[in-house]
Amino acid sequence: MIETNLDSVAQQSAFRHINTGTKLILALGSLILCLISPSPVVPLISGIVLSLVLIIPGRTSPLLYRELLLGPAIFAIMSVVILLFMLGGGDVIWRFNPVPSVNLTITEGSLHEGLLVLCRVFGCSVSLFFIALTTPMTDLFNGMKRIGIPIELIDLMMIIYRYIFILIDQAVEIWHAQVMRLGYSRPMESIRSFSMLCGMLFISTWNAGEDLIHAMDCRCYDGIIPSLDQAEPVQMRSLIPVLLYLAGLSGILLVMTTRVVVLS
Amino acid sequence: MSVILEARDIRYRYPGSLEAIKGISFHIRQGEKIAFVGPNGAGKSTLLQMFNGMICPDSGTILFNNEPNRYDSPSLRQLRKRVGYVIQNPDRQIIAPTVYQDVAFGPANLRYDEQAIRQAVALALQHVGLEGFERRPPHQLSGGEKKRVAIAGVLAMDPDVLVFDEPTSGLDPSGSEDLMELLDELNHEGKTVIISTHDVELAYPWANRAILLLDGRILQEDVPDVAFGNPDHVRRAHLSVPTLLDLSQELGRRGFAQPERKPRSVLDMINIIENLLTRSCGNSNPGTISVCDIDKAFDTPLAAWISSRQNLAVGAMGTRAKQRASQEQLTLEFTYGVIDKCILRALRGQNSLILTTSSMAGRVVTRVEAYCQESGTAITVIPLNTTNDSPITGLANEEVKENDSSY
Repeated sequence: MIETNLDSVAQQSAFRHINTGTKLILALGSLILCLISPSPVVPLISGIVLSLVLIIPGRTSPLLYRELLLGPAIFAIMSVVILLFMLGGGDVIWRFNPVPSVNLTITEGSLHEGLLVLCRVFGCSVSLFFIALTTPMTDLFNGMKRIGIPIELIDLMMIIYRYIFILIDQAVEIWHAQVMRLGYSRPMESIRSFSMLCGMLFISTWNAGEDLIHAMDCRCYDGIIPSLDQAEPVQMRSLIPVLLYLAGLSGILLVMTTRVVVLS
Repeated sequence: MSVILEARDIRYRYPGSLEAIKGISFHIRQGEKIAFVGPNGAGKSTLLQMFNGMICPDSGTILFNNEPNRYDSPSLRQLRKRVGYVIQNPDRQIIAPTVYQDVAFGPANLRYDEQAIRQAVALALQHVGLEGFERRPPHQLSGGEKKRVAIAGVLAMDPDVLVFDEPTSGLDPSGSEDLMELLDELNHEGKTVIISTHDVELAYPWANRAILLLDGRILQEDVPDVAFGNPDHVRRAHLSVPTLLDLSQELGRRGFAQPERKPRSVLDMINIIENLLTRSCGNSNPGTISVCDIDKAFDTPLAAWISSRQNLAVGAMGTRAKQRASQEQLTLEFTYGVIDKCILRALRGQNSLILTTSSMAGRVVTRVEAYCQESGTAITVIPLNTTNDSPITGLANEEVKENDSSY
């Protein structure tokens, strides 16, 4: 399960014990800078730097990381190919006439825009993966509580997080049982099996819900789900490099923005 | 011992279903180890859920500490604090996304202050040997670890009675043995422990009393050798006679005289066989059992002390003792039934060392003394930490052996 893997990877990350706030400042800061940058340089640098940080000191498996990046990469490349032909501006670089009335062109402007979108997707994806691969959900719940998100919402998220893995395990078990008895051998059979799987999961979820209430009652539930009040302290040796990095990235962004303004 | 739980002619019917409990009465004394044994559908789980008020009987009364259970919210909270219930499937019992949060669930809802919650969680996790697991999410734990988290969640509320529904289901044999030892440890600390099971081999050596259930009624209630010794009842309850009891009965049927007290362990069986063979197999010079209390200081590093003795088997009793052994990288030969196995070694003339905690150390001496009195053997128990203590032998009139160099 990729979901299990992501959470497990985050649990075992070398950055696991760095303050969640510091990691969020780095990831969200990079994300914002990538989004507002008019030049592809800033997202490209951000993506490469964060990737290297994740793989070398963060000890994230390069194979897993490549697999993770493949999803957004395929999506981004497909979108960029369309953007290259849709957007215009500047000199024509390449022209293609598959049929007489259809004229497909790639211009300097569309190439720049396409490159910008590709780099932004790369930079933003890496920023989000940085959070996913270094910060387990349980730390994020803590962070949410600290910034004042309603406790009811966090409690609900915690219970969903706890039970989603059980639900996935059950779905996999049922699916295996169906596959073993050739449940997905024909299209009609697949539809029937899948609907049975959904039905079984619904019943099982209903039962699990009743058991959850029993389990909570057994332990005197009175509206409190305790929080894991063990947040890592803010450490200057991690916060200062993060701030310096973001300042550097902002500096590059400023230079690139000025250049873009001057050129235009 | 005072009666802590009592049922008086209780009956219960699930809505739209057959009667699950058909008039059951029994009592459980404080500090007892009780096993409810019966086939699937006998009503074990239903009955267990009545102990902490999860199910209210249709008729009859359940009493806790001689007070009839009341089913209003404050009374139920009080009852559930005193009677902890561990569900069969730990995945259904563990609610929170981390071990710490789950164990803290009970104390937080009992409105303990922050410091008391931390203390209760730390103690409970120490008890079940899961220190350092606080931030782990439950889905990354093994079946045995999840079971321990579920137990810690209940222990954190410090109940007087612990109720376990099928405690070893889904666990591998080693995990089951560890868990049963944990139940023993908890019982030794004064908790009343009640389990439901259909595993007679598990219930027979462990329980003080076994209550056989069939079809919502009590079939028999007695000490395990009597409860499981009636082949007719055992057959009717879709169970089987425990192997040791079966062997003892078979020997009796073949004309070998059997003692009044039936064998509950391999040690008991060996004792019976040795007596039958008029001690011809017995070793005239039994080995010794050293006891190291891990809560007390010990001058020499344990590993060095052990390696300086030849042919010494090491066993650990209790979770903390096992952890200590693991920290010191000691190879443990026995992790459950440790005292009996060490006595068996001593009978073969071999020496052993038991690592244990202060609370359990006295149990070694008591058990060895009881065995020695019963069998007329003299096995020396040597406390290692208390340097001034003399070795203790099972028989007062036997000469105490010195802590010699024969290790």
